[in-house]
Amino acid sequence: MVTVELYGVPRLRAGASRVEVPAGTLASILHALASILPGLVPDIVHDGRLTEHALVAVDGREIVADPTLPIADGTVLVLISAAAGG
Amino acid sequence: MRGNFGRILLVELRGDRVAVEHVALPEAAYHAFVGGVGLGAYLLWRFAPAGVDPLAPEAPLVYAFSPLLGTPLTTTAKFAVLCKSPLTGRISDGLSSSRFALAAKRLGVDALVIRGALDRLGWLHLDEDPAACRVEPCPAWAGLSAHELSDMAAKQGLFRHVSAIGPAGEAQIRYATISNDGRHAGRGGAGAVLGAKRVKAISVRGAAVAGVADAASVQVRARDLAARSAGAATEKYRALGTAANLETFDRLRILPRRNFQTVSIGQAAARRLAPEGLARAGEHVRDSCAGCTIGCDHRYGGTRIEYETQFALGPLIDVDDPACLLAAAGACDALGLDTISAGGTLAFAMECAERGLVDWPLRFGDDVLPWLRAIARREGAGDLLAEGTRRIAAVIGQGSERFACHVKGLELPGYEPRAMQTFALGLCVACRGADHNRSGAYQADLQAGVDRYRADVARAPARVIEAEDNAALLDSLILCKFLRGAIREPWREGAELLAMVTGVPRGEDDLRRSARRIAAVRHAFNVREGWTLAEDRLPDRFHDEALEDGASLDRADVAAMVDAYHAARGHVPRGGPSERLRRELELDAWLTDAPPLQGPASLG
Repeated sequence: MVTVELYGVPRLRAGASRVEVPAGTLASILHALASILPGLVPDIVHDGRLTEHALVAVDGREIVADPTLPIADGTVLVLISAAAGG
Repeated sequence: MRGNFGRILLVELRGDRVAVEHVALPEAAYHAFVGGVGLGAYLLWRFAPAGVDPLAPEAPLVYAFSPLLGTPLTTTAKFAVLCKSPLTGRISDGLSSSRFALAAKRLGVDALVIRGALDRLGWLHLDEDPAACRVEPCPAWAGLSAHELSDMAAKQGLFRHVSAIGPAGEAQIRYATISNDGRHAGRGGAGAVLGAKRVKAISVRGAAVAGVADAASVQVRARDLAARSAGAATEKYRALGTAANLETFDRLRILPRRNFQTVSIGQAAARRLAPEGLARAGEHVRDSCAGCTIGCDHRYGGTRIEYETQFALGPLIDVDDPACLLAAAGACDALGLDTISAGGTLAFAMECAERGLVDWPLRFGDDVLPWLRAIARREGAGDLLAEGTRRIAAVIGQGSERFACHVKGLELPGYEPRAMQTFALGLCVACRGADHNRSGAYQADLQAGVDRYRADVARAPARVIEAEDNAALLDSLILCKFLRGAIREPWREGAELLAMVTGVPRGEDDLRRSARRIAAVRHAFNVREGWTLAEDRLPDRFHDEALEDGASLDRADVAAMVDAYHAARGHVPRGGPSERLRRELELDAWLTDAPPLQGPASLG
């Protein structure tokens, strides 16, 4: 399983701070997220892709966007708002 | 040209008097520098004598307005304040949102240039009618916060909108702010410059209207922009505020803690300081700046909290009690202290004390309220702390410079450069010193395809330049940077907005040239004031101490990025524009050695 941690607007929209979804490609994970957390659709996740309003970081480090990227079992994905600054 | 008045107001203070004079600016100046930070940078270049002491009477303080100010376009009720920084000795510019901005432009001018000094604390009233401008002594106002002053003045019917300093400005603390409607023009110490002029408050009265060239188009665009400002791109600011960054940054391990010694406060502490935790410490209320449809202003128990304040008065000094954080933030607001520099200075002082380099009874995690008050009054050790990190390190010595976290004397904002290496370059080369607002290069590190733990000598300079130029555009138009996500093509839309308002067509490339020209003038100002390449660097801590996850910042890589940045900007090694850049941006027309425009003769 892949753990997805949610912060900022994604957490607010989802009403959850942490969920687990089956490993797969980034697209399959985002599809799964959209299915169990419908509040993320369409502004955060749309059609198996992240919108420009959110970012996802593998283990909190590398920010990824390629929907075909394989995400292995045991990975933690961190889903955050795209807007930084302050 | 609509949107501007084509003139500025020179304000000369001497003794207990003020003299004012309108000075015309050529239309080309508006084309070249747009307004706001850009126009202000040009005026600072022209009116600041080379090498001037920032706190001397002859040092100018510039309030620069913008062509969009006064239109119905959202987030445009802003102005820029510029000076030679008493903290850095380099250019300083702050932006502030307020009804004061709207009222001040109705003086019928595009900027105020304030020079000279009063001989005792005074209230400066500026009027559209030059004969009605006056100074009133106000010794009884000494020590009031800007907020207390505004309340009192409103009750007494003296003025409605005011730009004022708190006790820190009066005491010329080098990181004092200027306050307007509870907002601050912070960073760099413009409040100390106004304090050195012994001006407690500036009020304005006027009814002039610059007008717009195409009112119908402006109305349509204003509705469209307002709608976009209420969309998903700005939801974070609206729903949570920038305070939501703290928990995210803790997770990404870019949240500086204990004077940049580590990068995480842990999940439990991060949640305590996150918006949900702050709301448990004080009633949450959301508000907006004047003329803004985003509404990012989140207050808890009456105290406004933004990420930088939350970081600097929380993790940076190792405070994880939301009530303590809110109290410190409220004190900075009332005293008129820049929160990043106050927190950064205290964090440095705490580390010095814990290392035994000084005998101050100050430790990480302490309640800093008494220290903030001592700083603002220059009492005891507060007198040295009022000078900022760089000067304190110079006095303490003993190797403390190694962990004195500043660039060019300006304390660092809340992003860890070892884990954001494009931003590290942005910090090094920023004209104001360690700066997240005139560059925003942190955005480059937080995107797919960028390895934020690597100094990318080939790509980082262009990313920083693009971020700087984007900021120059938004800060000169002036539009709030929180609209960034709602404006997909800033150059195209910026050109369109200017054309609608001024009636003068602008192309995207032409506007990009203006942004580059603004950057060139800001750099040229610094060169004139003594900049050398040696100051475009981070403190040794960031090179010599790896983070707990092993992240480090290679000194040679950063130096290579800095060199590549200046080469890409078209700067010569000793600083300043190359001949090619001068020609390309027609800089010789602006960077003249001509003496400043003459001021009012009425003071002799």
